[in-house]
Amino acid sequence: MGNVQVLRSVALLAFALLFGWQALRLNLGTLSNAGPGLFPLIVSGLLGLVAAIMMIEARFEQASVANFNLRNIAVVFAGLAGFALIAHWSVIPATIFLVFVSSLAGSDYSVLRCAKISAALIAIAAGFRYGLGLNLRLY
Amino acid sequence: MEVLSNLALGFSHALTLSNLAYCALGCCVGTLIGLLPGMGPLATISLLLPLTYSLPLDGSLIMLAGIYYGAQYGDNVSAITMKMPHAASIVACIDGYQMTLKGKTGLALFAAGVSSFIGGTVAIVVLSTLAEPLANVALLFSPADYCALMVLGFCCVSYVSTGGSMLGGFAMALVGVLLGQIGTDLNSGAERFTWDQPFLVDGVGLISVALGCFGIAEITKNLDNKNTFTPFTGQIKLIPSWPEFKRIIPSALRGSIIGSFLGLLPGGGPTLAQFGAYAAEKRFSKYRDEIGHGAIEGVAGQAAADEAAARTSFIPLMSIGIPENAVMALMMAAFIVKGVKPGPGMINEHPALFWALVASMWVGNCFLLLLNVPLVRYLLSIFKVPFSVLFPSILFFCCVGTFSHQNNLEEIYITAVFGVIGYLFLRLRLEAAPLMLGFILGPMLEEYFRRALLLSRGSFATFVTHPVSGTIFAFIGAFLLYKLAATLASARRRKGTPLSAVSGH
Repeated sequence: MGNVQVLRSVALLAFALLFGWQALRLNLGTLSNAGPGLFPLIVSGLLGLVAAIMMIEARFEQASVANFNLRNIAVVFAGLAGFALIAHWSVIPATIFLVFVSSLAGSDYSVLRCAKISAALIAIAAGFRYGLGLNLRLY
Repeated sequence: MEVLSNLALGFSHALTLSNLAYCALGCCVGTLIGLLPGMGPLATISLLLPLTYSLPLDGSLIMLAGIYYGAQYGDNVSAITMKMPHAASIVACIDGYQMTLKGKTGLALFAAGVSSFIGGTVAIVVLSTLAEPLANVALLFSPADYCALMVLGFCCVSYVSTGGSMLGGFAMALVGVLLGQIGTDLNSGAERFTWDQPFLVDGVGLISVALGCFGIAEITKNLDNKNTFTPFTGQIKLIPSWPEFKRIIPSALRGSIIGSFLGLLPGGGPTLAQFGAYAAEKRFSKYRDEIGHGAIEGVAGQAAADEAAARTSFIPLMSIGIPENAVMALMMAAFIVKGVKPGPGMINEHPALFWALVASMWVGNCFLLLLNVPLVRYLLSIFKVPFSVLFPSILFFCCVGTFSHQNNLEEIYITAVFGVIGYLFLRLRLEAAPLMLGFILGPMLEEYFRRALLLSRGSFATFVTHPVSGTIFAFIGAFLLYKLAATLASARRRKGTPLSAVSGH
């Protein structure tokens, strides 16, 4: 799925360009009285330079292939984002959602086990709510 | 003798019932979580950091320090028994696991526990004698010097954490600095890099970055690997024979001294110290031929160095105000949340806090010895819990931890996004530790940078003409030139070999 060295230098260069472009739109000020944009501009310039050197270096290095497994990270992300969304309403369904969805990334799946984990975590959430006074909305 | 009266003051604070309890709790929880696969000290601290927000000042810092060295030790235990290395315990896997294969797990754990205790004790002596003089020196530093020290820190951390290929690590430190710029500029009030999103006006939360990059990304990596570790089931016979015990002491002392010193350097800390101590054992130990095949010395030296460096790395943070590695950067964030600014003034402004922390490190040492030597077999029972139960729970705690920071559910989205970013970085083999350091030091670096230029009326010469910063930048420059020459030389050498063998396609 592509060469790690090339991919990462491209990613870093893109990051530098994005932040550098944004910094240019801020007030730069003068060197003796720096505005909000000056320091980020210098740092992104430096980052762009490093990324460019890495890109050149990548030509000389032995290529290694990147292995992403996008499924697992997507499942974990969905679990977390769903938790944040549902927890506005109540933590109980949010926890159930998190456990049942994120478990899809595991090597085996068992509904009973997920139910047990959810129950235990909800009990812990209740403990946080009433024991430590954490402002979680339970119902 | 002033040190003794200071230590007495420290112990009088550290030995109160509540602080003892926080210390013990920190050590236990830190060890337990540090034992888990994929949870090194950085992940453990970021997961537990929100828990300490609601505690009183000294209690929370004592507990965090306990969590830190507890996690460090927990790493060691899982490395010895199951060969599960984290960044912080690669060395323990070598001889420690060999000893387990020979059925000497108990001896290895005993050696590690006792050596850690010795290492910690030596480091505390160093800490209590060196921190104050160093703080007095640090008072003389100009803003330009601070900038130079931070850049030196970035370079060293990049070098250490990437195992020699500096560029990627340095780039990550710069990415961290840029991420730290998100939010409102304190000098002008201008919003920077917020892309008109209201939740970014206050900047990105430290907890979100740390949990995303170290917690969620690591867990997902374990999931990708299908994580099939076999729980440790062997016998543990703890009490060593007298000749075995005698072999521990010299190695532990050597390791303590090496660890205490390497813990002080920028970019230093436990990881570097372990390798240093292990190399020293290989060279100087009476039993050097056995090292690598399960020698006590191979375990004792590195364990002592590990714990010693974990404690002396507090010195640059507390006396100069600059964290030398990513773990200390997290510690600094915890100090600041509590309203204490680490730096030259800290020891004078908060003497009770400082000495209580030092004293509690020794108290924590005792707890760890108790926890890890007689009780270690109970700790290991955590591995009977399968990973498929653990990881949804860890994710849940990541959510709750993020939320509790500011009672804000939106931050969980940011954590999740940083989980994805951290995962991509991991797969692109870019280290997240320099990013963390850059993220926390970034705002400070900018402040000192602006102040230095303001004082010099816009002349960059100030970074070269100040003796301290001039020396540091000259050192960095010389090192970069050396690296460049080495890279060019190796590239030229490789050109000699047929090109088809070098590039994959």
